[in-house]
Amino acid sequence: MRWLRNILDKVEPVFKKGGKLEKLYPIFEATDTILFSTDERTHSGPHIRDSIDVKRVMILVVVALIPCYIFGAMNVGYQMALALGETSTWQQNLIRGGLKILPIIAVTFAAGAFWELLFAVVRKHSVSEGFLVTCALIPLVMPATIPLWQVAVATTFGIVIGKEIFGGVGMNIFNPALVARSFLFFTYPARISGDKVWVAGPDGYSGATALAVPAAELNQDAVTLLESVTQFDFSWINMFNGWIPGSIGETSTLWCGVGALFLVITGLGSWRVIVGAILGLTGMAVLTNFMAEVTGSSNTMLTLPAHYHLVMGGFAFGVAFMATEPVTGAHTDKGRWVYGFFIGALTVIIRSINPAYPEGTMLAILLMNAFAPLIDYFVIQGNVKRRMARYAQ
Amino acid sequence: MNHIVIKKGHNIRIGGVPSKDVVSIAGSESVAISPKTFIGVKPKRMVSEGDSVLIGSPLFFDKTKPEVKWASPANGTIKTIQFGARRVIEKIEIKVEGTEAVSGPSFTSEQLVSADRATLLTRILEANLFPLIRQRPFNKVANPKDTPRDIFISAVNTAPLSVDLSLLIETEKNAFQAGVIALSKLTNGDVFLTSEKGHQFQNSINQTISGPHPSGNVGIQIHHSKPMKPGELIWTVNAQHVITLGKLFLTGSYIPDVILTVAGPGASKPKTVACKVGASIKSLIVDQNLKDDVRLISGDVLTGKTVDESQFLGFYDSSVTILPDSVNRPFLGMLALGSSDSKYSLTNTFLSFSEKEFKFNTAQNGEERAIVPINAWEKVLPMDIYPNELFRAILAEDIEEMEELGIWECDDEDFALCSFACPSKIDVGSVIRKGLDLMELEG
Repeated sequence: MRWLRNILDKVEPVFKKGGKLEKLYPIFEATDTILFSTDERTHSGPHIRDSIDVKRVMILVVVALIPCYIFGAMNVGYQMALALGETSTWQQNLIRGGLKILPIIAVTFAAGAFWELLFAVVRKHSVSEGFLVTCALIPLVMPATIPLWQVAVATTFGIVIGKEIFGGVGMNIFNPALVARSFLFFTYPARISGDKVWVAGPDGYSGATALAVPAAELNQDAVTLLESVTQFDFSWINMFNGWIPGSIGETSTLWCGVGALFLVITGLGSWRVIVGAILGLTGMAVLTNFMAEVTGSSNTMLTLPAHYHLVMGGFAFGVAFMATEPVTGAHTDKGRWVYGFFIGALTVIIRSINPAYPEGTMLAILLMNAFAPLIDYFVIQGNVKRRMARYAQ
Repeated sequence: MNHIVIKKGHNIRIGGVPSKDVVSIAGSESVAISPKTFIGVKPKRMVSEGDSVLIGSPLFFDKTKPEVKWASPANGTIKTIQFGARRVIEKIEIKVEGTEAVSGPSFTSEQLVSADRATLLTRILEANLFPLIRQRPFNKVANPKDTPRDIFISAVNTAPLSVDLSLLIETEKNAFQAGVIALSKLTNGDVFLTSEKGHQFQNSINQTISGPHPSGNVGIQIHHSKPMKPGELIWTVNAQHVITLGKLFLTGSYIPDVILTVAGPGASKPKTVACKVGASIKSLIVDQNLKDDVRLISGDVLTGKTVDESQFLGFYDSSVTILPDSVNRPFLGMLALGSSDSKYSLTNTFLSFSEKEFKFNTAQNGEERAIVPINAWEKVLPMDIYPNELFRAILAEDIEEMEELGIWECDDEDFALCSFACPSKIDVGSVIRKGLDLMELEG
């Protein structure tokens, strides 16, 4: 790679102060340090440093998403074949689905990189690697049928309003990828709120999503209802594996779990948030099941058991990759439990009791993003009270 | 005996570990002391170039506390007095010509036990050794007019590549005991002696501690034995300086000996040496076969200062660390799998699981970024303190919040590991120092 290094060294003066393109230095710097690790040395303080840096953190989150990408492509292809009434091999599925999602990925990264670089140049800060993660997350929460211009608009909104106006990665309040998703959710609700399936198939092909099935009926048992669906296989194990229609990367609880495990082992995602969210989901589902029994409510969603909630909709994906995002979540370990718990509990509440939206994970996470500082505040106040009591002795 | 268990923290497995046998080295031709390095001190010189001084003669005093003077670590003539901006004294260098020391009254152990506070305090001040005593908060030279709540001595040094204090205290048992007795008279409270092996000394509360660095830091020990409250003062003395004070009382003279390590991945012969306070860096590394691109550090690798050959050992330092100073740029390094030879991380983000020593260099391994809170700081800070929130309170200069979050119990050295572990490459310690300065300014 000597030749590449030589080229970069050769063009560097053009971007340095006084060079022709000095304004574009952040772009050069980002390219340079992404291709070759920085040779920046410590100035003082600890003269030696841990090998981890933010680039590594971000790229590993992208790596954790790879299984969801591969499975997502296969599932998109599989759903297409299903809709067309064809039989296909997994290779065909992969290629077909891959071709369907590649343009979405390309548009996301193009739009994301454009805004990130523009802000870096205008505001004279270095390009933050965080946009890689944001851009890797956005296609996975989009349906395969999404028009590409919507992808571009949503990405723009997510990056600019979700992140840059706060000062970039590390300063944002809401998860930018979810901001992008919610932008579409509220501007094009007919297309993306998640009651009708998104399958790249023949025109007019439609069906109800797994979450919309029990939401649409009264006085039924949710599980029986799901199993009676013939268009798709809504059995628990099939939903766990993810061979159901949905956004590109969200359907497989299995592969989201693999990604989550990777994040937890590498220490990048908090297991407290994940465990908290599953506990919250389970607790609230048990409560709604109990309420359905006791009150005799006609709401079928109340009868949906916890383990079904876990594998349906975007819960697994949201908790694995969105809720664990360290910047927008709670920053204290105790706070992370509470933060996770409420994400799980609110997901069930929105799914079961809210009549408008069949899915609630995205809204639950965004809501808890807003409350994370408050949760931390109470945790910190606990620490402060303890200290003040000691000082008063 | 009270035993403290520290769970959070990390012993950095840095290469170039010194052997424990103490070797004597040829003395330094000149020694120096750098007045501007003392936090909050306004130095005023008491000697001129060409003056003759004995070991223990006063070199300068602090204008804010005129009774606090600094002793000359050598017998000889003043070679240079170097001034910096605003005529702050940067360095007083002494050409070593002899070994004669100022001598004063000596004490037997019994006399020490029955001596009163004023006598002992006056003796330390007269011997110009009071700067060996530092105070918390602020970790600066103490004020003899104060009476500290307690005095803390750490007999365990957990910093990377540090001197084995336990061994040293064993060999200098009598002097150490004398130092402890003398110190115990200076406080109305107790002397807390924290060690790993459980040293037993009179006139002190002997406690043991176990766990990774920074468990040897006195700040951590204070936090876990008897945490500080606002308005309280604690004095701290390095274990080696307790020995120096002990010898002052037993012999009547200042004996400016110090044991230090010359070590690190850049050192060709990592070792423990006996030398004099203020020795020149050159004299300490003379037999090291150094490459061209190395960084010399006076102090340990986490908190030390970069020096060059022409400079001198820091007043409170007991190690010289040598690091390779050249950093290469691997292609697509951020995607590297990593191995135990190429990466060292407290996270599991690389395939580097072996426990072997690592050849660190001065690479920052990344650029400075906004904080990504993945608990990197929290995992290495064994205190009941939220570092992230405290950090932000300091940046916001919110005095009240800083106090609520426990800044009085903090010192920058305890946060050095946080900077080491930080993925965003933030220098946490310097911000903590900024917060402490702000607290001091606001009174």
